[in-house]
Amino acid sequence: MGNLIKAEFRKVLTTKLWWGLLIPTFVLSFAWSLGVGALIDDVSSNVADEPILRQVGLNTSELPWAIFALTRSINIAMIFPMIFGALGLATELHRKTITTSFLTASSRSALLTAKAITYALWGAIFGLVITLSASLGTVLAADSSILPGFGDWLLIVLAGLIAAVLWTLLGLGVGALIGAPVGTLVLLLIYALIIGPIAELVITGISEGGIWAGLMPNGAGNGLTGSTAGQVIVDTVRTAIENANVMVNESAVDALEVALRIAAGAPGAMVWWASGLVFLAWSLALFGAGMLRNQKRDIT
Amino acid sequence: MHDSSGRITVQNLSKTFGQIPAVQNLSFTVEPGSVTGFLGPNGAGKTTTLRMLLGLVQPTAGGTTINGRPFNQLTNPGRVVGAVLEAQSFHPKRTARNHLRVYTAAMGLPDRRADEVLGLVGLAEAAHRAAGGFSMGMKQRLALATALLGDPQVLVLDEPTNGLDPEGIAWLRTFLRSFASGGRTVLISSHLLAEVEQTIDQVVIISRGQTMYYGQLDDLRKSQQTRIIVQPADAGALVTALQEGGITGIEPTPDGKVAVTGSSVQQIGDIAAKASIALYGVQEEKADLEQLFFRLTSGQYVGQLPGVPGQQPATPGQQPGMPPQAPGMPPQAMPPQGMPPQGMPPQAPGTPPQGYPPQQQPPAGPPQPYQQGPPPPGYQQGPPPPGYDQQQPGHGQHGGWGGQA
Ligand SMILES: Nc1ncnc2c1ncn2[C@@H]1O[C@H](COP(=O)(O)OP(=O)(O)OP(=O)(O)O)[C@@H](O)[C@H]1O
Ligand SMILES: [Mg+2]
Repeated sequence: MGNLIKAEFRKVLTTKLWWGLLIPTFVLSFAWSLGVGALIDDVSSNVADEPILRQVGLNTSELPWAIFALTRSINIAMIFPMIFGALGLATELHRKTITTSFLTASSRSALLTAKAITYALWGAIFGLVITLSASLGTVLAADSSILPGFGDWLLIVLAGLIAAVLWTLLGLGVGALIGAPVGTLVLLLIYALIIGPIAELVITGISEGGIWAGLMPNGAGNGLTGSTAGQVIVDTVRTAIENANVMVNESAVDALEVALRIAAGAPGAMVWWASGLVFLAWSLALFGAGMLRNQKRDIT
Repeated sequence: MHDSSGRITVQNLSKTFGQIPAVQNLSFTVEPGSVTGFLGPNGAGKTTTLRMLLGLVQPTAGGTTINGRPFNQLTNPGRVVGAVLEAQSFHPKRTARNHLRVYTAAMGLPDRRADEVLGLVGLAEAAHRAAGGFSMGMKQRLALATALLGDPQVLVLDEPTNGLDPEGIAWLRTFLRSFASGGRTVLISSHLLAEVEQTIDQVVIISRGQTMYYGQLDDLRKSQQTRIIVQPADAGALVTALQEGGITGIEPTPDGKVAVTGSSVQQIGDIAAKASIALYGVQEEKADLEQLFFRLTSGQYVGQLPGVPGQQPATPGQQPGMPPQAPGMPPQAMPPQGMPPQGMPPQAPGTPPQGYPPQQQPPAGPPQPYQQGPPPPGYQQGPPPPGYDQQQPGHGQHGGWGGQA
């Protein structure tokens, strides 16, 4: 297995795709976080009106709103690890370069597993670039009073890393299923950029408080980071509530959380861990289907 | 390092793509220490068979083994089998050396092995060039280098001479011979017998997915009957004399000679002497293997199209020299292209179809009809095909034969 992983790393490193994608990844998540960071007041104003915040008399201008700049840029930049994964197997199947790998691996499963591990690691590398450039942009754009604390920031980074790994595997799996890079990219990009976000907004609007949007792959993926961000703010608010000795109105907190997730770019998302599990299930299901499809596929 | 024999077996192998039967009940064995040619016209099923052998295509029925195991059960297959496949591709932007280093890593080989094989196939100077910029022959050499990377015991090559220059072909021949003489196994496909004739010991000839011949190349050579061309003072008299002498395979040629098969120079000489016919020249001719190959691979149509009126190759009305054409004949069933017009059964005396293959043939079903099946009318013993004399002026008749003996 070690040999096959080494071989897969060499495949990646001997062509330009990895840095050809890492550069726009960096640029996009940096620029996006700068943009959202600069407009953070608009993003937070919707939430700042939530009754519970006024009720506890919290100084809303000091909540870590900048966290939304982070999550939104992280979520949008996820298209790059997804593309990277999508091309991982689809191009090899399409070009038939996979043939030689099948001829040198002990089994197809071994090769596909090595591929999955390699791409998971690359997904983490993308995740690192995304979270760091998003953090950089956020720090530059947002006022220091609304930046999250180190621990909260670390949570978001971790959620971003996991999301990037899972998006890469999801792309890899869809590519393995379709077996052609163009078709895979068109399908995934249209879904992740257009159909997914619109459907989630519509579903969230229709099913008041329903979890359907959060069950979609894109919704779950965004929920991983978005709900973490929501959680961070809710926790801050809860602490403030406890300190103020005010009666906690749970439904008001829930309403706040829903509003926060929308602001974070994950409308209708479930709690961060539930989102994570759902997204893990999607990634593994699609990746598993891709594996199965290639277990017996005729390479002609 | 190699724990096993290097023997390849193919057992009752069949593959159907949707409706298309690509390979039907194929069986053969390739012994270590030999080079086996795997021959058949386009679409015969060679590539499909080799891909099944390499675990890339799932057989519909039957199976294959290398070293007694299916390919998928080999633990480090790259070190047992090296393969060059049709349309094997490389990442266009990856250099030759980097391409090879991917697979040295996969097989757990030292990286210098990549440079060794590049040198071996003559690509050392192109090591740092991207494979996308390679010429066809260079790509073929790189594919060969990849196959040799693991120093395998078995080589499976699908039309490896594609795109190779004469020097490359000559090198490959020598290489494969020495590879096999060291006790290793080579299976090489081609649609040109002439191309591999000097390289191979054993041959498997398939057509439309079925075995037409399987055995030693030498046996195939021996099975050819010699044709004797006699130039007598009086052709008509000699024909009569020979017929009286009980000889059947007689054909007068357009230029006043007589071609005799199934006889010997002595026998003909004796008969001529007895009949007092002067002989001005006696010449022995052997059919070349390519002719034999065409006959084997096109023989299928005789079997495939029975009962189609007027379509049998030797139907008297048919123009000799015309390939037997049948409407709706599958495209892969078309040897005529490269086939000298006179190579058709009617003009090919000699080789009785039942002469060679059956004894080597696995006792299996389908292929046999082709070998022994309805003896093609006029194939050998019939009277000289009508129109032969008028239609085939001199040169045509000697096309596949003359000069070869
Ligand atoms: N993936 C596929 N799908 C459908 N049919 C196929 C496929 N691969 C091969 N075939 C069919 O199987 C038959 C055998 O093809 P194959 O490529 O094995 O022939 P071949 O002997 O290698 O021919 P060539 O000399 O042209 O390389 C052909 O009729 C071909 O059309
Ligand atoms: Mg072929």
